[in-house]
Amino acid sequence: MLFKKMLRDIAKHKAQFISIFLMAFLGVFVFAGVGGESVGLEVNSNNFYEDTNLADGWIYSANISDLFLDQIDCLGATTQMERQVVVDSVGDFDNDPDITLHFVENNTISKFHLIEGKELDINDGGGVWLDKSFADAKGLKVGDNITFEFENYTIEKEIKGIGYSPEYVYHASSSSIIPDFNKIGFAYLSHKAFPADAVPYNVLNIKFDGNPESYDELLDYHMGGYYSSFVERSEHTSVGQFADEIDQHKMMGDIFPVVFILIAMLILLTTMRRIITHQRTQIGILKACGFKNYSIILHYLSYGFWLVLTGSILGLILGPMVLPPLFYPSMSANYKLPSWDSAWSMNFVYVAALMVIMSLAVSFYSVKGISDEKPADTIRPKVPKVSSSGFIEKLGLWKHLSFNIRWNYRDTKRNKFRALMTIVGVMGCSALLVCAFGMYDGMNDLKEWEYTQINHYDSKLVIEEDAAQSQIDDIASKVNGDEIMEGSIEIESGSAKKSGSLLVLNETDLITPTDYDRNSVEIKDDEVSISEKMAKMLDVGVGDTVRWHIMGSDKWIDTKIDKIHADPVSQGFIMSADKLKDLDLNYTPTAIITSDHVTEDYNGVKAANSMNNMTSSWDELTESMWLLIYILIFFASLLAVVVLYNLGLLSFTEIEREIATLKVLGFKTGALRKLLLTQNLWFTAIGFVLGLPVGYYILAIMWESSGDSFYILPSISPINFLITMVITFALSILVNLMFSRKIKKLDMVESLKGVE
Amino acid sequence: MSTIIEFKNVDKEYKSGEHILKAMDNVNFTIDKGEFVVILGPSGAGKSTLLNLLGGLDSVTSGQIIVNGNHVESFNDNQLTEYRAKNVGFIFQFYNLIPNLTAIENVELMKDIVDVDIDGLSVLDSVGLGNHADQFPAQLSGGEQQRVSIARAVAKQPTMLLCDEPTGALDSKTGVLILNLLQDMSNNRNTTVIIVTHNAILAEAADKVIRIKNGQIESIAVNENPMKVTDLDW
Ligand SMILES: Nc1ncnc2c1ncn2[C@@H]1O[C@H](COP(=O)(O)OP(=O)(O)OP(=O)(O)O)[C@@H](O)[C@H]1O
Ligand SMILES: [Mg+2]
Repeated sequence: MLFKKMLRDIAKHKAQFISIFLMAFLGVFVFAGVGGESVGLEVNSNNFYEDTNLADGWIYSANISDLFLDQIDCLGATTQMERQVVVDSVGDFDNDPDITLHFVENNTISKFHLIEGKELDINDGGGVWLDKSFADAKGLKVGDNITFEFENYTIEKEIKGIGYSPEYVYHASSSSIIPDFNKIGFAYLSHKAFPADAVPYNVLNIKFDGNPESYDELLDYHMGGYYSSFVERSEHTSVGQFADEIDQHKMMGDIFPVVFILIAMLILLTTMRRIITHQRTQIGILKACGFKNYSIILHYLSYGFWLVLTGSILGLILGPMVLPPLFYPSMSANYKLPSWDSAWSMNFVYVAALMVIMSLAVSFYSVKGISDEKPADTIRPKVPKVSSSGFIEKLGLWKHLSFNIRWNYRDTKRNKFRALMTIVGVMGCSALLVCAFGMYDGMNDLKEWEYTQINHYDSKLVIEEDAAQSQIDDIASKVNGDEIMEGSIEIESGSAKKSGSLLVLNETDLITPTDYDRNSVEIKDDEVSISEKMAKMLDVGVGDTVRWHIMGSDKWIDTKIDKIHADPVSQGFIMSADKLKDLDLNYTPTAIITSDHVTEDYNGVKAANSMNNMTSSWDELTESMWLLIYILIFFASLLAVVVLYNLGLLSFTEIEREIATLKVLGFKTGALRKLLLTQNLWFTAIGFVLGLPVGYYILAIMWESSGDSFYILPSISPINFLITMVITFALSILVNLMFSRKIKKLDMVESLKGVE
Repeated sequence: MSTIIEFKNVDKEYKSGEHILKAMDNVNFTIDKGEFVVILGPSGAGKSTLLNLLGGLDSVTSGQIIVNGNHVESFNDNQLTEYRAKNVGFIFQFYNLIPNLTAIENVELMKDIVDVDIDGLSVLDSVGLGNHADQFPAQLSGGEQQRVSIARAVAKQPTMLLCDEPTGALDSKTGVLILNLLQDMSNNRNTTVIIVTHNAILAEAADKVIRIKNGQIESIAVNENPMKVTDLDW
């Protein structure tokens, strides 16, 4: 019987209950969906790291001798180690791809993960085990031969196996943060394949006990000066970048559901409150008939419970099924991972359960007052809340305010709860919109800044490592270009240590270092400029001295910072060639930049990248980001409509009688619509303004989490700010239009027929 | 005296599915300016329906309603709104004050719909509520609320006051006070007052008594010497 009553009540308030269901569903759907995706990435990558026994750390040194191994062994904490030679080579293909070769003495740490062919054999000097993504991009098969050139060697090997490596989940060249599997790859070979008698081991993979910091200290204490650098697992480019990516997805997956769940609860709370105040008399009658208190409470709890329960279960099932396949294609275009499965976490169930419990608590909160009342009291109409004259009314001004303002002011005062809910809802909407449009602007800004304002050459020729200076000069003059040197460095200040990049420029007007406001920063011949983000991370400023070295070299240098520039994608130093030489370092150009469009293949040039290539691969990389932005805008709008409509409906039914009275008195529909619109606009304005800092804050966190090499501050362009505002207010007015139809159709006779 | 209201062959039907209910069945009557009219009849007779049609809250199925020479039945929505604002003052059984506005604000609210300058305090004074002007409806007794609603209705100086069981929710003493006030409005201000009630005693105070039954006029009686409400034997 009561169940029947519940179904009728739900049917009567279907807009609200559909919203509750939808929000509960979407909350869990997004949480479990994005969660399934990010947890899937985490589980897949962790399994991959574990299966392949990924190294805990890497020690780089110019020559890792047997003695060196003994010494590392003596540290005690080391449990396992393997040395290898890692060299950059050029594959013998038209586009001269960069292939990093690993000649391994053994392969039990960071094992090559075989997909096709036979397992890596460290005694097989004639075979090579190749990167699957590269092999796929080039159409290479097991049994094919492949030729690499490095230093003065050219080696040709047979592909014995194709697979993945845990050290190359993320893999991009130093000149571009965007991976292009056609241009970059890695390969594993036996140390016996190394074309010289003495194998110059330069990387030592290690596994150790204890935490990386203490191992680093131990190493520094005992071996300081005998190696160039130590990289722990979390600092490894591939591991770090992939973890950053996962974190970013996770955060998205956390923010959204919180909003949806809050909205679901908010609507549930307001709807239940309304139903219960409406049915106060009914409750009294039920009680008078002898229904027990708890069965009445249970009855009202069941409304939200069933809806939220079915919504969450549906979300739990559909989320992990639908969302991950949407994200994985763009992910697998950028990362090399053997498996892309979504994963399930008990957290999803906990969140769903939490939501169901919250819905019970919310419903209980709204019923409990009434169930405590005596039946006799509930049958009589509730004493209306008395308004009181506050300080605003005492001002002489009050009398001159229009009825509209006075009515709305008082109505708000009497229904603070409803006002608060509306404001919170609009706040959520505007926060999400600001965040979405801020991301949109940031992404565009970044592209414009990096590829137009800082770098305005047309082509960049990447020079082969063994090219002679004369050869480079020759090419440079042929293409009318300028030479630059790019490299990886590590900078240290106090206890902070960060890896970054080095850019050495001769006089060139093709690269213009700028500050954050895009004003060009002039770096004089004898000056060193550090990027703003790097300076922040190391907590240093102009005049401070930092210690740094070029990756692969043991030579640490102390340098005073003279300038600060800003760069969106690379953090580190910029200096002139003279300054570099001054610091007693070798100047070896790595690229030539030119305003000509170069297509010709020069000897000594590894690859020619045009600006177009770079921007289009940037677009590819950011594809999933755009998807996210659109989803964000869509949901923010949905959120606003749902919240405003529901609360509007709520307030409309509450004041239906008043509206009918005003209509009888002769108020025009337009005036009444304005009455409701005024309130809506007030709340929208307040919610919008409050939502700005919240959105800004979320945006700041998002950019913050996008990785060490990115530098972008949260901001939104005036035009998009305007769009955000227009969307928010347009939705508010749209919802209001739905109500003006209701005002027009309102049957005065019906609405005034006696008290309910 | 001049005729101000005329019902000519008024029919009102309510359709609920297949079923058609005749709430007004060929109703004809006239009311003069300043008359104090009482409408009597059993529950469900169609009294409220009559008042709602006259007040422009509902539209006729057929027939004519002529007020001040205007055909109310032919008005569109905007004209009806205008008509209500200028001509009609409604008084309901349950007052229907705006809970968010104080007594005086409820009265002065009328400034927003008609072009008359209203001194809320003097109108409230005229119903004896001058010293409750700044109280909210919830802070007033039922009788006081009904007096505010009368003050609100008369403030805009309407052609007619339509009162649907104005004393239905009040004790008899307070009821007499209200009815007396309404009779004064008719006598002193020459406002046409039409009251729907269940209480037949009031008939003796009326200038005209219209009895209806099953949607039809049963009788119309004109009282040559109406008594004062306060002199009636309650
Ligand atoms: N909206 C409506 N839909 C259908 N029938 C209606 C509607 N409003 C009134 N009626 C019917 O019209 C008839 C007259 O109703 P009305 O409200 O005018 O009666 P009344 O004389 O005011 O009764 P009471 O003294 O009980 O208030 C009744 O039979 C009622 O059922
Ligand atoms: Mg009635």
